[in-house]
Parts: sequence; C-alpha cells; structure tokens
Amino acid sequence: MVIEHMPERHSASVVLMFAGGSRLEDERLAGVSHFIEHLYFKGTERRPSSKEIADAIEGVGGFINASTDKELTAYWARVPSEHMDLGLDVLFDIVANSRLDPADVERERMVILEELRMYQDQPQDYVQNLFEELIWPDHPLGRDIAGTEESVSRLNREDILEYADAHYRLPNLVIGAAGSLDEERTVVEVRQSLSLRSGLNGTTPALSPAQLTSPRVLVRRRDTEQAHICLGARALSYMHPDRHALDLLNTVLGEGMSSRLFLNIRERLGLAYDVHSFTQKHRDTGYVGVYIGVDPKKAVDAVNAVMGELRSLRESEIAPEELARAKEFTKGRLRLELETTNGVAFWLTYQELLLGGIKTIDEELALVEAVTSADVKRVADDVLSAPLQMAVIGPFARDSAFRLAIGA
Amino acid sequence: MESNGGSTSRRAAAERIRRAIALINAVADEAGDEEITPTEIAEAIRDCLELSEVDRAPNVRRYLGEALDAVSDGMPADFVAMTLYAALGALREGA
Repeated sequence: MVIEHMPERHSASVVLMFAGGSRLEDERLAGVSHFIEHLYFKGTERRPSSKEIADAIEGVGGFINASTDKELTAYWARVPSEHMDLGLDVLFDIVANSRLDPADVERERMVILEELRMYQDQPQDYVQNLFEELIWPDHPLGRDIAGTEESVSRLNREDILEYADAHYRLPNLVIGAAGSLDEERTVVEVRQSLSLRSGLNGTTPALSPAQLTSPRVLVRRRDTEQAHICLGARALSYMHPDRHALDLLNTVLGEGMSSRLFLNIRERLGLAYDVHSFTQKHRDTGYVGVYIGVDPKKAVDAVNAVMGELRSLRESEIAPEELARAKEFTKGRLRLELETTNGVAFWLTYQELLLGGIKTIDEELALVEAVTSADVKRVADDVLSAPLQMAVIGPFARDSAFRLAIGA
Repeated sequence: MESNGGSTSRRAAAERIRRAIALINAVADEAGDEEITPTEIAEAIRDCLELSEVDRAPNVRRYLGEALDAVSDGMPADFVAMTLYAALGALREGA
C-alpha cells in the first residue's frame, strides 16, 4: 500500500490496482479482464445493484470508476476526505464480494459487444487498434482490450469466475491513497476490511512479443470522408533507461501545437487537420506512433511529409531551445497531472505495481532534465530505424502507394 | 547549392504534375463541359515522366508510374489524384 498525505486538500482518493490486464489473456479468454471490470459494478451481497453501488459514493458527492488496461486493471474512488472509509468499503466490496449474477453476465455481454462495434464506427480510434495489431501481431498486446466479438460472445460465467479467482488476489494488488487522510487509520481499515485471498493460483506469466522483421501496411477500405492513418515503430518499455529521452522525442515530434508535426504538416503544408504523435509503453516493449487525419487525396503526401519529420529527428540533433521547450512541456504536464488527489494516487500506485519502486516528483523531473539533445538523437536513430508499420482506413482500393511511402 | 537550372526544371516538373492533378480533379469533381478521357490523363502523366527532374528526388518517378497504372486499371479518380499529390510532395521533399 502506498499513501500520500496531502493535508491541504478537501478530498481523498483511493485506487485498487491489480496486475494483469488484457495482456495475460489467451485467445479463448480475450476480453475477460474488461468483462470482469464491468461486472464488478453490477452488484454485491450488501449492495445488490449498480444503482446502490453508485448511490453509496455519489450520495456523498464522490466519484467511482474503473479502467482496464493491457497490464493492469484499476478501480478507484474520489470522495470528500471525511468519507475515505466509505470509499475503501465500496471498492473492497466490489472487488471481493461481487455476485456475478448470470443475468448480469448476459446483459453486460450485449453492452460490451455494442462497445466493440461502436469503436469500429470511430475510424480515428479503430485505426489505432489496427496499428497495434501490426505492431504486436498474434500477441495479446495487439488485441483490443475488450476482446473480440467472438471471444466476448463465447466467454461464460465459469471462465469469468475462474479468471477472477486467479487474478484478484493480494499479491497482485497495490492500493494507493492520497489526500487529506489519516494514514494509520487508513492502514487499519485496509487490514480489517479487505478480504481478498492471499497466494496466486493459476496465473500465467506474460510472454514477450516476437521481433518485427519488416515494414508492413494494412489498408482497411472504408468510404470515409477522411483518411485515418497510424504509422510508427516498436519503441522502448517503461523500464528502459532512455524512456525519458523517448518521451521528449515524442513531445518535439507531435505533442501539442508547437510540435514539429503540427507546425509543418498542418500549419505550413496544410495537409492535415489532426496530426499528432504518441507512445505506449509496457514491461518489455512499446511503440511510438503518429496519427494523421487527412483528405484521402493527400493521404500519401501527408505520410511522406511525416516520414520527412522522422528522418530529420535521426539526421540532426534538436536545437537546445527546442529541447528546453519540450522539457518544460513534459515537466509541466506531470505537475498538472499531480494536481488532484486522484492523479497522485494513480501515479504512486502505477509506479509501485509496474516499476517496483517509487520516485518522487523531484527525482522524476531530474531524470527529464538530464536528457540531452544527443540522447534524443541516439534514441531516434535506434527506434526509428526499426521496421515501420502503418494502418490506414479510407476509400483506398490499393495499398501500393502507401507501401512505397514507408518502403514496405 | 543548386543551380538555377535545377530549380527551374523542378518548377517545370511540379507544373506538369499540377496540370495532371488538375485534369484528374476535374474528373473527380465532374466539372467542365468537355469530358476528359483516361487517355488524356495518361498523356499528362507521361509528360511528367519525360522530365529527367523526376529522377532527382526519391520515389517521384515511382509514384507517377503508380498513377499511370491506376489510370490504366480504371481506378477511381481520387485514388489517381492521391498518387499524383504524393509525387508532387516527394518532389517538394527532394528540393
């Protein structure tokens, strides 16, 4: 358990973060972590419906929610500080005593199937799923967190119970709390109220994805008004010592309206309305990607312009003032994230669960500050020389021009 | 350093590609009184390919070749236009 006392705040937040999200699911169980996360809000013995769970927290003006990721599942509540015990009680109740009623399983299955179909109707999101399929082919990391229509249709209550029993255990859990709270009392409350079982049973270790050996293009033909394109390459894990240099590279390339992609592709060339870059990091892998939303006629031209920006990062060091701007951007964003008790609780819990130790904000900021232009160029050279992968959604009958653009 | 001759011929190449784009865009927009035939569009693209400047920037000739193939194969006008814009962009990137 990790706790940050923030006496000047009026709220307290608590996060229950379990190791193991969609990455640990084989094809048969694809989507089960996400399914369980939904079902845990449907009712417990003491609070038999989702309304009673929501009422308990919202009745004091608080918030409760959860999210499933590829390597973790998190349940959280943010409440006025005097109701911290209630926040803990409701969260412990849903993760340890959920009824998983068969009727709720069937109802929620329909909801998740609709959720999966909804994403397919949102090409700017769906193209990222296709891109991740290319980045991690035939691997759980390359699959939608919510699973596939086939797997979600097939999962039964026994699968769900078995998976929940294996993963919702004490060794898989880190609890984070932040805000105006009594640390000793919080620890006592956790010891007394949390009834998850100790010892792991039936969990499997995460397998690393295979190497990518060649660039690939996947075009999904749709009669969309815009072309939606994601391209990028495998990059670094969150354990890698160069991860801060990668983050700064990403900031310079495509985060915000002063980034190179925004200024050159949108402002100077007028090629795309939305162009930005992003990273994703996991224990042993990651990627850096660029999204472009563009007039289909300008799609390949825009890809070529992005390729030019990627080449430029490899060819020359970024200027000191550009690096300084990127550092201030990164440091500022981290500070803003940690404005809320919820942000602090998540930050601490994430570090403890996935990194195995906690850095203070000053230590983290010092690591960002220590990155040099030469570091960014070295990382760009390393990461951007890997085989590029590109997913495209738009009215395209052929992929040849796209393949030419990335040398696939 | 580039000689004036280089930039002049690049401008000429860009101008020819733009002319081909204008033709194909007119087809895509169904504009104009006269019907533009695939043969005319193919001819405009071949005009571009005749210039040696298209070999001085990577991929320009290949994009023009793709555009010509797309016209021969009866691909939609927007698709041909996309490939020509890619050639124009590659010429710009090579400047």
